[in-house]
Amino acid sequence: MRYLAGRTVYMLIILAISSVAVFYAIRLSGGDATAARLPASATEADRETLREVLGLNDPIYQQYFTYMGRLLSGDLGNSLTNNALISKMLIEHGRNSLILGAAAFLLVFLIGVPLGMLASVRRNTFLDQGIMSLSVAGMAVPNFWLALLSIWLFASVLGWLPSAGCCEPKQLILPAIVLAAEGTALTVRMTRSAMLENLDSDWVRTLRAGGLSEARVVGKHVFRNALIPIISLAGLRIGQIVGYALIVEVIFGWPGLGQVLVNAVLRRDYPVAQFFSLVLVVLVVLGNWLADLGYLAANPRLRKA
Amino acid sequence: MAAPLLSVRNLTTVIRTEGIQFEVVKGVSFDLYPNEILGLVGESGCGKTLTALSVMGLIPVPAARITGGAVHFRNKDLVGLSEREMREVRGDDISMIFQDPLTSLDPMFTVGHLLTEVIRRHRSISRSAAEAIALQALTEVELPDPATRMKQYPHQLSGGMRQRVMIAMALMLDPDILIADEPTTALDVTVQAQILDRLVGQQRRRDMSMLLITHDLGVVAAVAHRVAVMYSGEIVEQATVEQLFADPQHPYTQGLLQALPQSRHQRGPLHTIPGRVPPPQFVPPGCPFSPRCSQALLRCWEEHPELVSDNGRDLRCFNPQPLTT
Repeated sequence: MRYLAGRTVYMLIILAISSVAVFYAIRLSGGDATAARLPASATEADRETLREVLGLNDPIYQQYFTYMGRLLSGDLGNSLTNNALISKMLIEHGRNSLILGAAAFLLVFLIGVPLGMLASVRRNTFLDQGIMSLSVAGMAVPNFWLALLSIWLFASVLGWLPSAGCCEPKQLILPAIVLAAEGTALTVRMTRSAMLENLDSDWVRTLRAGGLSEARVVGKHVFRNALIPIISLAGLRIGQIVGYALIVEVIFGWPGLGQVLVNAVLRRDYPVAQFFSLVLVVLVVLGNWLADLGYLAANPRLRKA
Repeated sequence: MAAPLLSVRNLTTVIRTEGIQFEVVKGVSFDLYPNEILGLVGESGCGKTLTALSVMGLIPVPAARITGGAVHFRNKDLVGLSEREMREVRGDDISMIFQDPLTSLDPMFTVGHLLTEVIRRHRSISRSAAEAIALQALTEVELPDPATRMKQYPHQLSGGMRQRVMIAMALMLDPDILIADEPTTALDVTVQAQILDRLVGQQRRRDMSMLLITHDLGVVAAVAHRVAVMYSGEIVEQATVEQLFADPQHPYTQGLLQALPQSRHQRGPLHTIPGRVPPPQFVPPGCPFSPRCSQALLRCWEEHPELVSDNGRDLRCFNPQPLTT
């Protein structure tokens, strides 16, 4: 319990620090926020008036506190570009991102864990080496390139799948696979090494000496032990998926949070950009916190005696 | 004497690493009689544990392989059994406990879960019946508060308690044979005697035979009936405990006996055997002990001695000399 309380406090501190960092970084990036809102013919005086109205001339720390105050009271604000409600954008695009992210997350574990187990029990065979080579490739290939390659192959050449769009199941397949590729590769390696480490332990011999079958020993006991590092790395996978979603959503035209964020940054739409940056930070930190929780739940040695 | 319960004949096990293959158990033969404790003694790396694991069919394949010999048990040759048939024997007819109780129990499951899983593997009984057997076994090895321990995880138990759990696990299905591989080595000295006591008490009560593997001749003298001394993968001397301690014949056995601390009043350095057990890939031709032997003849360097039986004692030495102290 103390461990969990510690992790929770830690999470809140990280959130506070990153909210400051996000806020400053966006304002430091230069550019003119009024360009999005006013026509190109607007005078400098018009622009100055708008800045004053939006509070952009206040000291940055003051802007920060004003913004955070509104945020915490539930007012997410409006887009500078089209005055759209940010809360509405969050729900619409958030749902799309959640679908894509969840699909990728499931793929990572439903493919990564069984392949890693298979490689570990067939250690040093052709099958093991094949799986591990694939996994090296999965980690080495940048996902934007994999995205373009898969569009070229499956959409242009073979014509099996659509190249972009939302939100048909068919349109989900390519982006989900591309988004999952690196995480799957890492999970395969992690599962394999966690399994191998436990396969060599003394208690495996004890269970065998008790007459338990190899399927029992490996499938139940070794796997249960290997699950601890797998769970604790699941949090990192969440962060990875959130980060890569920016690129993958843009390439596949998937209208999720990543796409909104990229567009907002390009247009200096401060309220949108900083809010969705914060959302990504919250997701990553929350993922890590969940992993801590899972690690605690999965490991009897950490539970209270 | 009655017919042996377990009869190991010419057991040979090889290990292969990086394409090189060498024998680690070299034609080992011994008998284990009903109700008997046979001590298997030797330094680290002399092949005691691999001999036991070979009998149990637990050697790490594919790195290790039994290439010859037989293990006769109840009209069966265990070496020839399939893995599936061997699993029926393990934990039920022959069970084994290991050296390090701290790492020998799966940390993710409760003691009760681990014990009942093994019981229900061998007996078609309900969970509650299996729990009753496990609880009974834990009570017999005098684990304090056994009902609570059943619900605890291994890390919540001390080393001595965990070894009692291991013993309970090995004994709960009433095996004919218990193989105990250095059962007390990893424990505190004060706990060692208790554990040994439990083991011997159970062995007597259950009319069970025991193969006690140890490097500690003191333990052997205290509990065993017969002793086999191993060196470099082969048995070099085998005799009753009385014979062996009264009149050790092999220079290696003599060295082991002299290395025992005699009394706490004794001062000065302890006796040691110079050198160490040769690794299996560098065993010298001739008698493998010859480089460390103070009474080696030229013949010992050139010719490999055979195990010769005489007056109830097996000895593998060209030049046995009485021990002078």
